Amino acid sequence: MLQYTIRRLIGMIPIIFLISVVVFSLAKLMPGDALSGKIDPLNSDPEYIEEMRDKMGLNDPIPVQYVRWMSGVVQGDFGDSFVHKRPVMELIGDRLPNTIILGIAALLITYLLAFLMGRYSGRFAYSVGDYLISAFNYLALAIPSFVAALVAIYVFAINLGWVPASGSIGSGVEPGTLDYYLSKAKHTVLPALVLGAMATAAYTQFLRNDMIESSRKDYVRTARAKGTKESAIYNKHILRNSIIPIVTLLGFDIANLFGGAIITETIFTYPGIGYLFVESVNARDYSVMMAIAMMLTILTLIGNLIADLLYGLVDPRIRLS
Amino acid sequence: MEPSISQQTSPGLVEPVKPPKSQSPWALARRKFLRNKIAMVSLVFLLIVCAMSILAEPLTMPVEETAKINLTQMSKEPSAEHYFGTDKSGRDVFARTLHGGKTSLLLAFSITISVITIGTLVGATAGYFGGWVDNALMRFTDFMMNFPFLLFVIVLKSIFIESSTGTLIFVISVLSWTGTARLVRSKVMAEKENEYIMSAVSIGCSAPKTIFKHLLPNVMSTIIVQATITLAAMIVAETGLSFLGFGVPINIPTWGNMLQEARSPDVLTSKWWIWIPPAAVLTFTILSINFIGEGLKDAFNPKSNR
Repeated sequence: MLQYTIRRLIGMIPIIFLISVVVFSLAKLMPGDALSGKIDPLNSDPEYIEEMRDKMGLNDPIPVQYVRWMSGVVQGDFGDSFVHKRPVMELIGDRLPNTIILGIAALLITYLLAFLMGRYSGRFAYSVGDYLISAFNYLALAIPSFVAALVAIYVFAINLGWVPASGSIGSGVEPGTLDYYLSKAKHTVLPALVLGAMATAAYTQFLRNDMIESSRKDYVRTARAKGTKESAIYNKHILRNSIIPIVTLLGFDIANLFGGAIITETIFTYPGIGYLFVESVNARDYSVMMAIAMMLTILTLIGNLIADLLYGLVDPRIRLS
Repeated sequence: MEPSISQQTSPGLVEPVKPPKSQSPWALARRKFLRNKIAMVSLVFLLIVCAMSILAEPLTMPVEETAKINLTQMSKEPSAEHYFGTDKSGRDVFARTLHGGKTSLLLAFSITISVITIGTLVGATAGYFGGWVDNALMRFTDFMMNFPFLLFVIVLKSIFIESSTGTLIFVISVLSWTGTARLVRSKVMAEKENEYIMSAVSIGCSAPKTIFKHLLPNVMSTIIVQATITLAAMIVAETGLSFLGFGVPINIPTWGNMLQEARSPDVLTSKWWIWIPPAAVLTFTILSINFIGEGLKDAFNPKSNR
């Protein structure tokens, strides 16, 4: 396993290199640069802009610029944000915790809901409840996340007024106090619910089908034959076996969550990575955009690796090689 | 009794009893699909939505009219004159929903066709030839799969200053053919081991002919199901991107562009008729496509007997 992991990680290096070339080329292909739109409006003197371009190295040959950027990236330095006038890593460091909180909350909601619904559906397959659950899942699968977000804001934030509709923290709360955490939780719950509750379909279906399949197996018949209670059969024998495969979906989810966060965060103006990305594309803030693109692509790679590793871990019949 | 009857009837007089005509897999699938109530209702719904979108102009007004800002009719509630009311610029929401449907569905269908074409070509080539061709193509596919979809669509889209629907089709297609390619490859690899392929090759069928005439018709059911899934995903992608402002230019009505209005709190809070119609039509269209996909999957599956 360890050997496999190391080999996979080493195999990633050329891929990451290629990805960096793609990301850099795309950024260079974009019309305009950081200076064309966002310069100090009081000083639009072409000579000054040219001078700034020179200073920032934007007039150097492209390969030189690439090498300069890449050598920074390898050391964990993505340059400075032109809009925010701060190092990119600092900026991302500010926003990343918000996205991670949102992602973990969404994952927890997905797992909890899917667990409860899948367990019920698997045990009482083809019952009214099972049909209701599958109806919900069909609907959740069909509603685009931004529509779900709009409806959620309309119902919970505006009509019921339970939670705020935007931002990640209330104004004027001191960091570290109880109010701070409460405010944070209140701001996170709605976007997390939208991200999480809409993603349950695959898990629920997986758990349900696995439980139905398991319930026909010999060990279940044995348990029944020796008089085990029906609830114990389901909760102890079947569920334990059926819950494991779900874990493997986790790897793919990691990258999906960050991707999905782009839309959700933008709607809720939740200051995380996704929102930062949209902002930076709109403002032509290339260093930030490239950094986020690189990070999320590498995250996808790692997510796939985790998924493969979990497969091997969960099912010993699969040999990783 | 029985033998006597058979003796009485001479073979020349009685019409030979035809063996029950065995149905082709397609006919079987069609019958199964027609009996699937949810799928049929969805299909009818989808056809109605498509028909109304195509007939948007005769039903309401020309598309140029929908863009006209009408200051006397701003934010009117639904009435007999405007079935769905008007939006903040006084444009008729009903007309825009229909025209929006035309753009959104046309885009989704175009993207789906191009995604399925690219994916099928790559997958079939890789699966049929195997060896280094397969290796090279699949490495490339795997590489493309690493790019998070939404993120890179936004990046690619920003490269084109002239944002038109054409660039959107191109940009989304470039990033979403990988899944289809993998699927078709695995199906083709399994299918090409059959004798009929071997015999086709042995009588001298060229590779393209073998692929298009013999292989692809037999993996077609998989491709069709994949196309329905892709269609639903592409409607989501287009509307989502338009909603974020990276999709279709804002002056063209699409469901995503119409929903963008709901980003202003005022519309979301107190002018529900502006954003609920496109949201509802969008959701039900995707739902119906999903049901049709399920129905097709079921119909093509010889093991299911619903």
